[in-house]
Amino acid sequence: MELHIRDVSKTYPNGVQALKDVTLTIPAGMYGLLGPNGAGKSTLMRILATLQEPDEGSIRLGDTDVLNQKGEVRKTLGYLPQEFGVYPKVSAENLLNHFALLKGIAERRARKEVVEALLRQTNLWEVRKQKLGGYSGGMKQRFGVAVALLGNPKLMIVDEPTAGLDPAERVRFLNLLSEVGENSVVLLSTHIVEDVSELCTRMAIIDRGEILLAAEPLGAVGDLRGRIWRRVISKEELPELEREHAVISTKLLAGRTVAHVYSETAPGPGFEPTEPDLEDVYSSTMAGHIGRRLEQSGPAVAS
Amino acid sequence: MKFREIFRFEFAYQVRRVWTWLFFAVLIAIAFLMTRDGTLAEALRDDFFLNSPFAIAKTTVTCSLIWLLVAPVVAGEAAARDVATGMHPLTYTAPISKAEYLGGRFLAALALNALILLAVQAGILLAVYSPGVDVEILGPFRPGAYLTAYGFIALPNAFVATAIQFSLAARSGRPMASFLGSVLLFFMAYVVSIFLLFQGRQDVANLLDPIGVHFILSDLSHLWTTIEKSWRLIELEGTVLRNRLLWLGIALGALAVTYLRFRFAHRTESTWWTRRSRRRDAHSPMPAGIGVTASTPISVPQVPRTFGFAIHARQTLAIAWTSFRTIATSWAGLALLAAIPLMTVPVVLDQMELNGVPLVPRTARVIEELTAPLSAELSRWVIIPLLLVFFAGELVWREREAGLGEITDAMPGSEWVPFLGKFLGLGLVLVVFMALLTTAGILAQVILGYQEFEIGLYLKILFGLQLPEYLLFALLALVVHGPVDQKYIGHLVAIIAYVFITLASMFGIEHNLLIYGAGPEWSYTEMRSFGPSLGPWLWFKLYWAAWALLLAVVARLLWVRGRERGPGVRLRLARHRFTRPTAWTAAAAVGLILTLGGFIFYNTNVLNEYLTASDITERRAEYERRYRRYAGIPQPRLTGTNLHVEIHPERREAEIRGTYRLVNSSGVAIDSIHLATVPDVETGAVAFDRPAEPVILDEDLHHRIYTLERPLQPGDSLRLDFQVRVEPHGFRESGVDASVVANGAFFTNRDWLPAIGYQRDRELTSPADRRAHGLAPRPLIASLYDVEARKDRGDGIAFEAVVGTDENQVAVAPGALRGTWTEGGRRYFRYSTDAPIGEYAFFSADYAVHEARWNDVAIRIYHHPGHTANLDRMVRSVRASLDYYTEQFSPYPYSHISLVEHPGHGTGMHADPSMITYEEGFSDWTPEDDPGSLDLPFAVVAHEMAHQWTVPYAHVEGAPVMSESIAWYYGMKVVENARGREHLRRLLSFMRQPHPYPQIRRGEPLLRGLDPYLSYRKGPFALYALSEYIGEERVNGALRRLIEVHGSGEAPLATTLDLYRELQAVTPKSLQYLLHDLFEVNTYWELEMERATAEQTGEGAWQVTLDVRARKVVADPAGVETEVPIDEWVEVGVFAPAGEGEELSEPLYVQKHRIRSGQQTITVTAPRKPVGAGIDPYHVLDWEEGEDDDNIEGVEIER
Repeated sequence: MELHIRDVSKTYPNGVQALKDVTLTIPAGMYGLLGPNGAGKSTLMRILATLQEPDEGSIRLGDTDVLNQKGEVRKTLGYLPQEFGVYPKVSAENLLNHFALLKGIAERRARKEVVEALLRQTNLWEVRKQKLGGYSGGMKQRFGVAVALLGNPKLMIVDEPTAGLDPAERVRFLNLLSEVGENSVVLLSTHIVEDVSELCTRMAIIDRGEILLAAEPLGAVGDLRGRIWRRVISKEELPELEREHAVISTKLLAGRTVAHVYSETAPGPGFEPTEPDLEDVYSSTMAGHIGRRLEQSGPAVAS
Repeated sequence: MKFREIFRFEFAYQVRRVWTWLFFAVLIAIAFLMTRDGTLAEALRDDFFLNSPFAIAKTTVTCSLIWLLVAPVVAGEAAARDVATGMHPLTYTAPISKAEYLGGRFLAALALNALILLAVQAGILLAVYSPGVDVEILGPFRPGAYLTAYGFIALPNAFVATAIQFSLAARSGRPMASFLGSVLLFFMAYVVSIFLLFQGRQDVANLLDPIGVHFILSDLSHLWTTIEKSWRLIELEGTVLRNRLLWLGIALGALAVTYLRFRFAHRTESTWWTRRSRRRDAHSPMPAGIGVTASTPISVPQVPRTFGFAIHARQTLAIAWTSFRTIATSWAGLALLAAIPLMTVPVVLDQMELNGVPLVPRTARVIEELTAPLSAELSRWVIIPLLLVFFAGELVWREREAGLGEITDAMPGSEWVPFLGKFLGLGLVLVVFMALLTTAGILAQVILGYQEFEIGLYLKILFGLQLPEYLLFALLALVVHGPVDQKYIGHLVAIIAYVFITLASMFGIEHNLLIYGAGPEWSYTEMRSFGPSLGPWLWFKLYWAAWALLLAVVARLLWVRGRERGPGVRLRLARHRFTRPTAWTAAAAVGLILTLGGFIFYNTNVLNEYLTASDITERRAEYERRYRRYAGIPQPRLTGTNLHVEIHPERREAEIRGTYRLVNSSGVAIDSIHLATVPDVETGAVAFDRPAEPVILDEDLHHRIYTLERPLQPGDSLRLDFQVRVEPHGFRESGVDASVVANGAFFTNRDWLPAIGYQRDRELTSPADRRAHGLAPRPLIASLYDVEARKDRGDGIAFEAVVGTDENQVAVAPGALRGTWTEGGRRYFRYSTDAPIGEYAFFSADYAVHEARWNDVAIRIYHHPGHTANLDRMVRSVRASLDYYTEQFSPYPYSHISLVEHPGHGTGMHADPSMITYEEGFSDWTPEDDPGSLDLPFAVVAHEMAHQWTVPYAHVEGAPVMSESIAWYYGMKVVENARGREHLRRLLSFMRQPHPYPQIRRGEPLLRGLDPYLSYRKGPFALYALSEYIGEERVNGALRRLIEVHGSGEAPLATTLDLYRELQAVTPKSLQYLLHDLFEVNTYWELEMERATAEQTGEGAWQVTLDVRARKVVADPAGVETEVPIDEWVEVGVFAPAGEGEELSEPLYVQKHRIRSGQQTITVTAPRKPVGAGIDPYHVLDWEEGEDDDNIEGVEIER
């Protein structure tokens, strides 16, 4: 089953264009949607989760028209929104059971089994009797995952799920997702590059409502090989460096600044070639050296 | 500085919110409509200015109530927005003090509310000064009128309500908690004050009413004269001041508690019970983060999922159950399901007593306390719809407020599931509530020692009739909240919808087909059972259920799901949701609405005539315009009536064939007969015993004119034969006329039979209506000095009737029963009178007859078989009355007296010649038998018996005094004569209570009295006081003389002037001043015992010194009081301790002393040690008793 997004655009009443002609094909497996805050990720996720209407475009999940057959989509949908709350006075077990019924698991014993398995899987089994009001942020997030996983979804939409998790929980969570990704479409939006690089077989980079790059992470990284250069400088040197070279990212390392520069040829003395990673793919795309921005306007900075 | 910024920000924030201005707009509109419609209507009846301070105050109070319900979120937002939005960690950690934060927020809310309430005054101004108002009812513009209403009513209300709303919202962290504060205040204003939790304790009610409903709407409306209503400004004094201070105090207290308990701290979910369960949870293991190594894969089993009707049903039920649990465990839910049923028990207990006399707590009577139609805005049960609005809002917003909205919205399944689930949840709450109310009712009966519970009746009425009423409204509330994507606006719309339902006629909408959930009411009495009232009720409810179904479809289509707000997108979504089954449901709903609505319309408007209020007014005006010219022409007088009445109880039909005997007693020949027929019955052709031609047969205005070929010469008589047919045609908009029912038929001549001549009582009386229809002004009643009105006498008639009814029923009519027989499976009764009578009534029911005699007079009580509690008491009272009245006044003219029960809950009685009728409620009086309690039913029967001696009186000012005051004086004397002076004092003591007729100190003097206080209280008191001063014999002599002169029917009709003349004749010169004070002017004696001391001066001699103060005040009709000097004889008494069951203690000394104005000291000697002493101890002159009884004080013993 594949998810086809065609020419989807969305403009909010206040004039903000959240999505511009988004076209993507998402096969089964883990798919990362990478972009800065405010890029339109959540809007796209909500549209896929049947909660918002695009102004234009069409979306198909296999044979299902997502925009017009919402009921069908919802039967195979698992959705974990970026932010959500819980009923504070209900226990996790009760609420999950309630949602299981809403997801169509009619038989009581089956529901019990599923609830137990999911609570164990999300490691909430020990605290299943506790009221949700007393849960920590991570526990709530895991509860949300359990809800999203109910009913073996064919389409899983998870919107910035790792934001509130500590490192260990994050790993566990990503493992869980990848298990689901074995036979479903899992779309994961994030602004953390590692989430994508560790997990996703395919990815797209989105900014200001536009898809800048859709690729396989490994291929994209491979394509950049030989074009990323590294130089360690002091902070004062940065403005000059930026004037002369296409700096795509800077990072602090032990008080010094490490700058990555995009260049198809060796930029000059002081630079050393470096092995590119997904971070560099992201930065280069955002800066317009590769991907859609390049096509639209040509190289942003002459080298 | 920070305070100012907090205030400024909050004020600016809310002033830019759309809801603030919606509230403003709604209040302007309602104030406008009330002034134009509500006040106008009343101003017209009473004829005070539309813009008088009183009218403005009234509108302000009513609008305050509506403001209370629509605008609580202003305070709620100010108090709880930070917590609700999760902003509080930022604000709470800012360097501000509690006083700055809470103070700024509270004052901003108060300022906003003060601003919003200005809309009321704006609306009134707009209504008064925009075009379309009759200038005659406009007074001068007085800024003070608006300012006092705003300053004394609106502003304090704003403060009190804002404080309570703010406190609740701040405490709970939820803006909507403020709505509960409003409901609480509303409940106080309405239920506590109007609902006589403190029966007769007007003062307590006034004090406890937070909004002013009671002291403005009921107290001033009642106590102020028309002139005062036009001119007097509301003042901050007395009860009003005390009330305002008390509530300001409560509000400040609430604010203080909020301030003290408020913490700038993280909020955890903590109520007393979660705190306890939390303690247990604390020991359960808390898993730490999940280690990567710990991950052994756990497989989630593949389970079957189904999507279809069955699972939808189960999901719906699951949501219903969680919805129920949410409500039932919330504070408001506990209030509904615990507090209200608990409070109902004492309320029911209290209502099972009237005027201090217990009533039998029959199930029907208890149920009456537990039910009310949705639209009864004056019922204590208005709280239920208000809570339903709140619960509907909470349920609809539950997911979104918990932050789970997006997750649940993305779940599979149709929008029907949450909508129906929530509706069923709310329904379940109502079912439980009804069950608890039933329990409360039964509990009250158990406490009163009543055993016949009639569970079936409880179930039928509470679950079968009341529950659907609430369910319809619950559905409406959900439908409003569902699609309206803004909670506060949803509340506003739902509340406005409710206000519209209750006050629809104010908005010019009257037909029940146009008011959601409305319909004719059902009724139940033990005699009549439900009668024919259920059919129309059911048709209307089915019709509204069909609407509810359609509304449910609309709610489903527009149910908010996802993030889309725009109307365009939502309509697009709605189109997608309009699936085939939904379309079929909608079509079915529309089909049902059309069929049921059509059927109802056919019944109400085609089979029967439907008239709006203005149609009726117009008809009355037209009647007057067209036929008034015949008002003065000579018409023959009705002297005899002969009727054959066939009552068919089961078919609810009746046929009357009648003959009138008409005599020309005028001095001129009469050539035409005017006949006023009655609406809603078929009056057939009329035949005379001489040739006559119909000239006008006006079937719309019900007036006929026949010309006689040969005029009727003076002294000649004429026979008129007519036929009247009564049969039900379906049902009317107001339901079914219950005159003829399977058991308990009851109708009077005025209901159905034609009358002779132009009918003045069909004219419009309200000055405004008359002006609006271009009719000349007419007084409500003729002046006391109008000599013409005294000649306008209708003598009694000789009456004879044969009444037929079902074989198993007894038919009753006035007159002595001359025979009874059975014929063709029907039973016939023949009655005829042995002395003239006036009005008359017919009855038919499965009566039991209780018979007794007094000399030659047959006493018959026709009663419902179960209603036997008071039979002996009634007979005793009838006999005692006949004893006393025949001895003191004149012989009883009839050979019988009938007392007849008919269906209804009323507890009073009505007297016609030779017949006393009463509703079933009267049978429920159960006075306690101990000698210390008042036997009120005995006194009531004696009073009604006294009406048999009422002299024919003119319909002029003072008429009710001639009838009711004299009859109550008679009744008092029978009580004294038969039951002793002690019992009379108990009766007087009861009559001096402010309930149900509070004392009015202003208004017309007794001679021109019309008001119930004057006729039922002041008149009897005055006659009694006179009898205490000049002696019973003299007063009775004067009354006997009145009967001698006016009883026969020769003299002009009697007025209070005739009564006064007779009283003057028997009063010694020295006491003429008293007569004048009692009858000609409004005099009030204020006699006060300040201090009494006693000293033993010897064996068996105690010297008692009384410091007393006396004041006498005369109030003119406008309410201006003038003090006049006193120099008159007043009783002074000294008392020993009270004996068992005595009202007052044993008198040691009672003598009249000469008393003058002001403070003075009186010294008397008593034979034994006194405990109490008083001036006017028996309240002969100073009629204020109870709370304000300052006539008697304890005696201090000095050694």
